[in-house]
Amino acid sequence: MEVQKEAQRIMTLSVWKMYHSRMQRGGLRLHRSLQLSLVMRSARELYLSAKVEALEPEVSLPPALPSDPRLHPPREAESTAETATPDGEHPSPEPMDTQEAPTAEETSAYCGPRPAKVSRKRRSSSLSDGGDAGLVPSKKARLEEKEEEEGASSEVADRLQPPPAQAEGAFPNLARVLQRRFSGLLNCSPAAPPTAPPACEAKPACRPADSMLNVLVRAVVAF
Amino acid sequence: MAESGGGNDIQWCFSQVKGAVDDDVAEADIISTVEFNHSGELLATGDKGGRVVIFQQEQENKIQSHSRGEYNVYSTFQSHEPEFDYLKSLEIEEKINKIRWLPQKNAAQFLLSTNDKTIKLWKISERDKRPEGYNLKEEDGRYRDPTTVTTLRVPVFRPMDLMVEASPRRIFANAHTYHINSISINSDYETYLSADDLRINLWHLEITDRSFNIVDIKPANMEELTEVITAAEFHPNSCNTFVYSSSKGTIRLCDMRASALCDRHSKLFEEPEDPSNRSFFSEIISSISDVKFSHSGRYMMTRDYLSVKIWDLNMENRPVETYQVHEYLRSKLCSLYENDCIFDKFECCWNGSDSVVMTGSYNNFFRMFDRNTKRDITLEASRENNKPRTVLKPRKVCASGKRKKDEISVDSLDFNKKILHTAWHPKENIIAVATTNNLYIFQDKVN
Repeated sequence: MEVQKEAQRIMTLSVWKMYHSRMQRGGLRLHRSLQLSLVMRSARELYLSAKVEALEPEVSLPPALPSDPRLHPPREAESTAETATPDGEHPSPEPMDTQEAPTAEETSAYCGPRPAKVSRKRRSSSLSDGGDAGLVPSKKARLEEKEEEEGASSEVADRLQPPPAQAEGAFPNLARVLQRRFSGLLNCSPAAPPTAPPACEAKPACRPADSMLNVLVRAVVAF
Repeated sequence: MAESGGGNDIQWCFSQVKGAVDDDVAEADIISTVEFNHSGELLATGDKGGRVVIFQQEQENKIQSHSRGEYNVYSTFQSHEPEFDYLKSLEIEEKINKIRWLPQKNAAQFLLSTNDKTIKLWKISERDKRPEGYNLKEEDGRYRDPTTVTTLRVPVFRPMDLMVEASPRRIFANAHTYHINSISINSDYETYLSADDLRINLWHLEITDRSFNIVDIKPANMEELTEVITAAEFHPNSCNTFVYSSSKGTIRLCDMRASALCDRHSKLFEEPEDPSNRSFFSEIISSISDVKFSHSGRYMMTRDYLSVKIWDLNMENRPVETYQVHEYLRSKLCSLYENDCIFDKFECCWNGSDSVVMTGSYNNFFRMFDRNTKRDITLEASRENNKPRTVLKPRKVCASGKRKKDEISVDSLDFNKKILHTAWHPKENIIAVATTNNLYIFQDKVN
């Protein structure tokens, strides 16, 4: 439990740092973003493996360890959703306010269960649209991005999680969101090289500020 | 650890400190790079405000040779200004990331200075004479009425107060999408390289409208990005060889004769990770922040967050020497992540004979490691010791347990006082150490 909390805290901290680094002069620093995403990934793996360990005593089948998270997430998600309180929108403004950032860290664990309901709601709408409604300016772009992301997120999933089953952990959509959005982060400015950029790469750079905010709202809300 | 050491029992003395005394540091005054020229006579600093300040060593007074010449301001100029990239809606910082001197070929001095996107070649020249006695102009520059000119004379040069002028001779722009972290002048003195996070470009000093891309590690799909370039340097003697370090702790040596695009390395220097040291932040502390060849060209030194490693170019699988800079921080990595200190990029440098290496740490401490005696020393750059020729007292950090007298505990270290940039005179035991906004110059004790 302590490990989970610590991992969660570090994930929130990393998200805040990523957001804050966007605001710095000179723009997004690729090296810093990469380092933050590495820490995010380690924290997530730690969180998920701590989750798996916590669930271990509940399972009667010994060899089924990799499949445990699959059995349990629907139950987990539902139970957290039940405890969700109506004011699920509250967490989102907090990370945006840089002065209150430290309190965002504290409250993130506190408001952990609440946003699950909100994120589920958003999740279904975004999946049905096949993209992220608020992120891309045109329908055509959204279609291309959907193809790119579906390919990319599966690639990233393969690369990032050694045991594939862990990707379908307790918070499958958190994992997917983080993979998709934070790899998208690396596509943000500087996204356009002097030579001809592929169309899909240029898109996140069109509205980087929006996508970043949405990313962070999603990621933090998903906690 | 011995108390004395750091180079044949050298005793380091305070010599000078440059910069404002206030504790309130203006961000523009934060020193971002320090570099001696090839003779050591000139010392350049760059700051966050885009300014370059050059200090010149006074000629030694042969009679009073109790200390070497002092460094005084020689020239100050604004190298880079903040710019705005309209396409990406990004501000381009004017902070000087690196300065590199060209070897002197004539009376003027040349240096390259770079910010995140643009490299500039500056010419620094002296003017100590001026022409006087023009026919058509008065001494103050006003034109004379031609009808009043009755005789002709030849203007002559008369001495004037020394004026040092800096002028930008070349501007190398628009070649980097990502942030430039290194520049390095080739031993052919005609070309130089500039490196950003994903690419390295080769330039000719005379040609500004094109450069050759020699390394490109940008993946086709940015989602697959796993490492970036953190530093690059040309070999001091072989004009075809250069190295670049990565955020994963590897160094690649490339030979430009092998192919035009040096994506495939000739040598890969990598030390296998010690599994006992594996932690949550292992990946990010293995990132190399600086790489420097020895003057001889036989070795290279790398700096990662906690250590300095010396590599023999002939041995790729592990460094020949490893020095722990501040191992007591290993258990504090989480806090250092929180306060962003874990991302600090420390530099390192060799002394002229390659026998001692130096690097900075926190609390305004800096460390020296003597490769021959294997002794190391920790010294502090502080205004408390600012009487000239005061010998610096070695410092010690107490990692745990009982703190001895004069030791400092890890928890009382000031992490805002960091020494990221240090430089060693190429020939003598004179070092320049940059704290946040001050430049300290120390010399060895001359009896």
